[in-house]
Amino acid sequence: MDLIDRYLAAIARRLPADKADDIVAEIRDDLLTRQEAREDALGRPLKKDELSALIKEMGHPLVIASRYRSGQYLIGPDAFPFFLATLRIVAIFLAVAFAVTAASRVAFGHVDVIRAVMQAIGNLMNSAMVALGIVTAIFYVLERTGFPADHLAKWRPQDLPEVKDKQPSTWGAAFEVAVGIYFILWWCGLVPFPGYYSNVKGLTLTPDPIWAALWWPVFALMVARLAYNIVQWLRPRWKVMRGILAVATTAGALVLLNAIYRAGHWLTVGGTLGHGDAADVDRSVNMGIHWAIIAIGAIWVWQCLQELWTLTTSRSWAPRLMA
Amino acid sequence: MPVDDDTFEKLRVELRRGSLVLAVLGALREERYGYTLRQSLEDAGLMIDEGALYPLLRRLESQGLLISEWREEAKRTKRFYRLSVDGTDTLAALLREWNAISESILRLTEKDK
Repeated sequence: MDLIDRYLAAIARRLPADKADDIVAEIRDDLLTRQEAREDALGRPLKKDELSALIKEMGHPLVIASRYRSGQYLIGPDAFPFFLATLRIVAIFLAVAFAVTAASRVAFGHVDVIRAVMQAIGNLMNSAMVALGIVTAIFYVLERTGFPADHLAKWRPQDLPEVKDKQPSTWGAAFEVAVGIYFILWWCGLVPFPGYYSNVKGLTLTPDPIWAALWWPVFALMVARLAYNIVQWLRPRWKVMRGILAVATTAGALVLLNAIYRAGHWLTVGGTLGHGDAADVDRSVNMGIHWAIIAIGAIWVWQCLQELWTLTTSRSWAPRLMA
Repeated sequence: MPVDDDTFEKLRVELRRGSLVLAVLGALREERYGYTLRQSLEDAGLMIDEGALYPLLRRLESQGLLISEWREEAKRTKRFYRLSVDGTDTLAALLREWNAISESILRLTEKDK
């Protein structure tokens, strides 16, 4: 009897309190009934090892208790692909954030390369564990509130990309979205990149007023570009939307680039350098920015033309445009 | 090439899992408690894991297919189970499904006989 009581107590500890007594009473009756049946067959009481074997047939207390619980998984098979895709985006986002931070710290002489890499890996691991926990918790809740059943029920074959459409890979698309989110956070001052505002080897770089004046337009452009990347990735068949966003963001970017370019000076170099040295660095930095603006403008125009060409030569463009 | 024992065992367990529910519902057209239910299943040639029967009965009851009550018998209180009205209808529907599947599989594998 002692063995049975210990076994039942071990099960009861792992059961919901409101059901434990009822469940345990039923298992107790089963064990006692089986014990009596065997004792009747043998014509004598069961020995301790025989009773132990009889209890063992029922199963480990942990297993028995777990069978009375519903939903014994965190993420079900339907939600798992979405869970994995989200984890990928988060992983890329974190990797980019820490890589950029490490690179800027090395570039501006804060730390040597090895230390920067080691610190970045350590921070990445810690953040990845926290992110994994948060994403898992979110999906745990979503799983139990109808997602992805609702989402899977609403999908339409018509929204799938054309066979001949060139799609960015999942990793590529996730990378673009992650980088987009990262730059928005950086622009809002929520993540540290790059650290050129701080004093580095006697050198300070101060952004000129043009950046503050254009803060909101640049922010709006980044958000629009992020929306474009998300649409391109998740809704490739929304060709009209893709076309509008591609043209609008490129046009907006070119207007902004023009305004920035016309400022003629973008960063002011100062610090404890000699006056002549600071002026040389200032000239070099702004010359670099000058050519970077021209190059970026050319690349954006080229990408926009490519996107428009792809969309207008696609078979489904005409009916979608007319729809 | 024959599959290994592990693979076969997994397939066998998968195959039996659904049919055990049908067997339990079928056996509970007559009122029984856990021990006698398992005995009737074993007598019919269907073994069920000792620790799996009671959670299965609870699940079927929570789904409204079974009703149960505690009653004294042989000087001990026991929980007796039997089919509910919904359970009876569901059993009939499941048996039709079972027979249809069985006939389909027989048609598909006739040439292997």
